Amino acid sequence: MRCLGVILLALGILITSQADAAVKPVIVCIQCHIAQPTKFSQPVKLWETSIHAEHGVGCNACHGGDPMDSAQAMSPARGFRGVPIPTAIPALCGGCHVGVTKHYTDSAHGRTLGKGGPTCVTCHGSHDIQKASLDLISKKKCSTCHTPEKAWLIRSTMLKRDTMLNAIEKKIKTLRSQGVETDQLEKRLFSLRNRFHAMFHSLDIKLILQESEHIQAALEKTSGAGGVGTGPLTGVVAVGWALIAALLFYLIKKNLD
Amino acid sequence: MDPDNSILDDSKRKFISTCLGGLAILAVTGGAVVTSSIFRYYLIPRPTTDNKGKITIPVKDLAAGAAKFFEYNGYAAVLVKKMDGRLAVLSAVCTHLGCIVQWDAKRQEFICPCHAGYFTPDGEVISGPPPSPLDRLPFNVANGIVTIG
Amino acid sequence: MIYLLKHIYEWIDVRLGVHEIINKKRTSYLMPRNINAWYSLGSVLLVSFVLQITSGLLLMLYYVPDVDKAFASVSFIMNEIPLGRLVRLLHAVGSSMMILVLLMHMLSVLFMGSYKSPREFHWLTGFTLLLLAMGISLTGYLLPWNQLSFWATTVATDTGNAIPLVGEYLVELLRGGHQVGHHTLGRFYTLHVGIIPATMAVLIIIHILLVQRTGISTPPFGLEDTTNKWKDDKFVYEEHPDGIPFFPNFLLQDLISISLYLAFFMTFVFFFPNLFIPAAAYMPANPLVTPSHIKPEWYFLANYQTLKLFPSEIIGITIQLAGIFFLAMLPFFDQGAEKHPLKRPVFTCTAISVILIWVGFTIWGLYS
Repeated sequence: MRCLGVILLALGILITSQADAAVKPVIVCIQCHIAQPTKFSQPVKLWETSIHAEHGVGCNACHGGDPMDSAQAMSPARGFRGVPIPTAIPALCGGCHVGVTKHYTDSAHGRTLGKGGPTCVTCHGSHDIQKASLDLISKKKCSTCHTPEKAWLIRSTMLKRDTMLNAIEKKIKTLRSQGVETDQLEKRLFSLRNRFHAMFHSLDIKLILQESEHIQAALEKTSGAGGVGTGPLTGVVAVGWALIAALLFYLIKKNLD
Repeated sequence: MDPDNSILDDSKRKFISTCLGGLAILAVTGGAVVTSSIFRYYLIPRPTTDNKGKITIPVKDLAAGAAKFFEYNGYAAVLVKKMDGRLAVLSAVCTHLGCIVQWDAKRQEFICPCHAGYFTPDGEVISGPPPSPLDRLPFNVANGIVTIG
Repeated sequence: MIYLLKHIYEWIDVRLGVHEIINKKRTSYLMPRNINAWYSLGSVLLVSFVLQITSGLLLMLYYVPDVDKAFASVSFIMNEIPLGRLVRLLHAVGSSMMILVLLMHMLSVLFMGSYKSPREFHWLTGFTLLLLAMGISLTGYLLPWNQLSFWATTVATDTGNAIPLVGEYLVELLRGGHQVGHHTLGRFYTLHVGIIPATMAVLIIIHILLVQRTGISTPPFGLEDTTNKWKDDKFVYEEHPDGIPFFPNFLLQDLISISLYLAFFMTFVFFFPNLFIPAAAYMPANPLVTPSHIKPEWYFLANYQTLKLFPSEIIGITIQLAGIFFLAMLPFFDQGAEKHPLKRPVFTCTAISVILIWVGFTIWGLYS
C-alpha cells in the first residue's frame, strides 16, 4: 500500500524451448518421401524424432544430394550417395563426429569392421539417432555378438563417472547462482563431458578419471579473490563482535540507571 | 567532572570502567581491522595474472633498430633490438618524473617528451634532467622468444 | 602533545563555543522518563544510511554504468576484488535492512501516536524518506544489469502506462526511450547515486532538526493521562523536566540498538545472503528472454500482488496511490488527542488489519 514503484506480473511468457525456435530448413526430400510407401517414408518419421532433426541436421548431411532443388535432389552430380554400404558408415558419421570415430577405429569394435563387428548404427540407430546415453548399452544388444559381462563392467564404471560429472555440474550451477564466476569451469566440464563420451568408444576410463579429479580440485578452490572475508568464520567474528558490544553497552546502561 | 560519578559507588564505577575498556578495545580492533583491510585489499587490488607476471615476445616481431612497448607488472616497459642485433629490456618510465619515454629510431635513442631527457638504447642517461638510468628488466631468450620476468 | 590538542580545542572553542553546546546538550537535553527502546530506531536508521553511502561509494570505484559492462563489472567486484563480495553484499542486503528498520520506525510512531500535532512535518518528512528509500532501492536494483534487474525494471516502469493521458510520456521519460535500455541505466544511475541520496540526506537533516525543535514526544505508556497536551495556539517546546539525560543514558540505548542491528544485519550478510539475491540476479540481462517467476523485492510484493489481483491496472494503481495519500496525510485525518493504542481501539484495529492484509499480500505475492 505504501509504495513508489509498482510491480506487475511479467509481461512475456517464458521462452523455454530454444529448440522450437531453431529454424528448420526447407527440405524437398521430405515433401516427396512422406507421401511414399512405408519403406521410403518411414525414415522421415524416424528422423523427425532424432537429435539430428532437433539440431537441424537434414537428410543431405548423410545422404548427399540437393535438398533445395526437387528436380536434382537425387542427382549424383549434386553429391547424392543414397544408402551407404556398411563399411563406409564410420567414415560417413566421422565426417562430423571426428573424435569419436578415432576412438572407435582403435577399439575392438572398429578393428572388426567388415568382419561382423558393429558400426555406428548398430548401437545408435540410423534415422532415429538419439542423444548418446548409457541406456544404449543394454545386455540384450551387446549379447547379440558377445557375452555382455565386459560391456556391463564398462557401463557401471561409466555410470559412476557420469554421476560424478552430474554432481560437478550441479555444484557449478549452485556456485553460479551465488554469483561466483564459473565460465572457465563450465567450459572445462563441457569439453570433459564430450571427451568422456568420445573416449568411451576406446573403452579407456583412466584418462577421464584424472581430468574429472582436476576439475573437482579446481571447484574446491573456486571462491575467487572476491570471496575473501565472506567465510563463516569471519561471519561468526563479525556477529560476535556486535553482540559483545551490545552486551557491554547494556551492562553500562544497567549500572547507570 | 562527570556529574553521575557522585551518585555511583566505587564498585559500580569500577565495573563501568571495565566495560568501557572492553568497548574501547572492540572499537579500536574492529575499526582497525575493517579500515586497514578495506585500504589494503579492496582499494588496492593486486592484479591476478595467469602468466605469473611473465611476458613473452617473439624476437622476429622486431626489426633491428626497432623497439616494442608493452605493459609489465602494471608499468610501461620496452624491448629494443639494437642495430647490432643485441636485445635490451628496460622500464619505459623516465627516472625523472615518471613520463613514458619514446623511441627515436632515427637517432637510436630514447627521449623523454616531458623534459627532454635522452637515454641510450641500454637506458644510460645521455643528457637532460633524469637522475639515473632506466631500470633494466630481467629477461632471457630461448627458441627465438624473449621471456621477460 | 596533550598540550597541543588542548590548545587547538581552545582555539576552536573561543570561536565556536563548542564547550557550551556540549555542556548544554549533556545536562539539559532530557528525554521523557518513560522513553522506550523504539525511540532508538532513528539512530539505527542513521547508521544504516551512512553504511549504505559508504558501501555504495566503495562500489562506485569499480562499477561501470554501461549496458555492456555493468554486469561484468559487478561480477568482477564479487569475484576478483578482494573483499568485493563482502562490500557488495553489505550494500545489497543493507538496502533491505534499511527498509525493514524504516517500517519498524514508522510502526512505532503510528502506535505511539507520535505523528499527532504538532508533528505533521516530522511525519511528512519521514514518510517521504520511506518513499525515497524505496525509490533508491528500485533504481539500485537495475544497476547490476542482470535478468532480475532488467525485467523487474521493465515491469515496474511499464505500470506507468496505465495512467491516463500522461502515462506513456512518463514511462518514456523514465526509460529514456520505448524500452529499458542504455538510457534507462544512465537515468537510474543518476537517480541512485546522486539525486535520491542527496535529497534523502537533506530530508534526514530536516527531520532531525524538526525533532530537536519540538522536543521528543512523550510515549503513551505507563502514564495516567495519555492525551496530546498540545494546544493549537502557540509554539511550545515539549520539555521533560524530570526526564533522563540523553547523555549518557539514552545514548547507551541508541548504541545497544545499533549493535544489535549490526549483529542482525551481519547474520544475513554472512549466513543468508542469497535470501535477498535470487539466482536470476546472476544471469546477465537479456532483453529477448523474460525469465519465469520473477518477483520484486519483498517490500514490493504486496503491491505486486495487488496489481495482479485487479483486472484493470488503473484500478490497482489508483487504490495504491489512494493508500499512499491517506497514509501520508494521516496526521491531518487523525485529529484525536488520545495517543495510547488501547484507548483508541478503532485506530489500532484498523492499523493492525491493514498490517495483516499487507503481510498476507506479501506472503501471497511470494508464493503465487
